Amino acid sequence: MRRALTLALLILASVPLLYAVSLLPPVGSEDNPTYTYVVPHYLEEGPEETGCENIVTAVILNYRGFDTGGEVTVIFTALMAVFGVLLIPRPAEKVRQPESAVPVSPVTLFIVRTLAPFIVVFSVYQIINGHSTPGGGFQGGTIIGALLIAASLVMGSERTQRLLPEGVRRWLQPAAVLMFAVVGVTGMLLFGEYLSYPIEGEYLFLRVPFLTLVEIGIGVGGAAIVASIFWAMEGSDG
Amino acid sequence: MRALWTNIDYVASVILFLIGLYAIMVKGNLIKKLMGLNIMETAVFAFVMSAGIVTDGDAPIMGAGAKPPFANPLPQGLILTGIVVALSTSALALSLIIRIYRQYGTIESDDLWGVE
Repeated sequence: MRRALTLALLILASVPLLYAVSLLPPVGSEDNPTYTYVVPHYLEEGPEETGCENIVTAVILNYRGFDTGGEVTVIFTALMAVFGVLLIPRPAEKVRQPESAVPVSPVTLFIVRTLAPFIVVFSVYQIINGHSTPGGGFQGGTIIGALLIAASLVMGSERTQRLLPEGVRRWLQPAAVLMFAVVGVTGMLLFGEYLSYPIEGEYLFLRVPFLTLVEIGIGVGGAAIVASIFWAMEGSDG
Repeated sequence: MRALWTNIDYVASVILFLIGLYAIMVKGNLIKKLMGLNIMETAVFAFVMSAGIVTDGDAPIMGAGAKPPFANPLPQGLILTGIVVALSTSALALSLIIRIYRQYGTIESDDLWGVE
C-alpha cells in the first residue's frame, strides 16, 4: 500500500519535471543560456586575467574565490560537527579497536604499500599543477585522503595515524581555511581588496605562487579532513 | 515528445532524482535513506553538468593547441563546490546515524518511533 502510494506520488511528481525539461533548450547547443552571458568572458580573458590556463581553476579560485573560501569553511565546520557528535565520552564498554576489522590478505597489503608512493606523487602533481592542467586542490587532497583511509583499512588506524601525529593533525585540518585567510589578507594589504590577486604591475609575479599556496592549503586541509572524518567514525579519536 | 528525446540527458537526471526520492520515502533503514539523498544530489549534479555540455566541446584548458568550442567551465566549478558540500553533509548525517545506533541500538526508522 505504502509502496503503491509512493509510486503514484512519484509519477505525479515526474510530470511537471519532465514538462519543464522538455521546454529547456537542447543539450549541447552553443546558444544555451548558460553559455552566453559570463562564460565567453571567462573563456576569452580567463588566462590573461587570472594566470590560470585551466579555466575551471580560474573560476574556482579567482572569479568565485569567495565561494570557495566559504566552502572550505563548510567542510571544516562539518568536521567539527562530526567530532562534536561522535567524540563524546562513550559508556563503559569501550573496547580496544582491533588492528583492522577484517583480516587483511598479504596481497592487499602489498598492493596498497607498493602503490602508495605513486598515488602520493600523482596527487602532489595535481595539487601544484592545478592552475594549468586538469586537477586542483580538492581532487589531489581527496586522493591523499582516500590513500590514508586505504592504509588505515589494511594496516590499522593506529599505525596510519603515526604518519600524522595528533599535534600535527590539529593544524592540518584547518589548513584550507587558514591559507585562504593568509592569502586573502595579504591580497587586501597589497591590492586593497580581500582575496584579490594582481592583474598587472610589479606584483604580477606573485599571482601563480598565491594560487599555488591556496591549492596546497585546500589539498592538505582536504586530505586531513577526509581522513579525520573516517577515523572519528571508526572510533579512533580523529 | 521530441523535445524530451533531444534533452535525454536532463531526462536521465529527472529519473535519477525520482529514484533517490523513492529510496528516501520507502526505505526504513537510515543509511539507505542517506543513500537516496546522495542519489538525489548526484542527479542535481548531473543536471547542472549537462547544462554545461557543448557538442564536440574541448576541456576548457587554454594550453598550446587549444581550439574552440570549449565546454562550459562554470557548471564544472560550481559542481566541484557542490560535491564537497555533499561530502560534508553525508559525513555529518553518517555520524548522526552512528550516534543513534550507539544510543538506541537500531537504525530502522520504524523501530525508532517507539523509543524514548
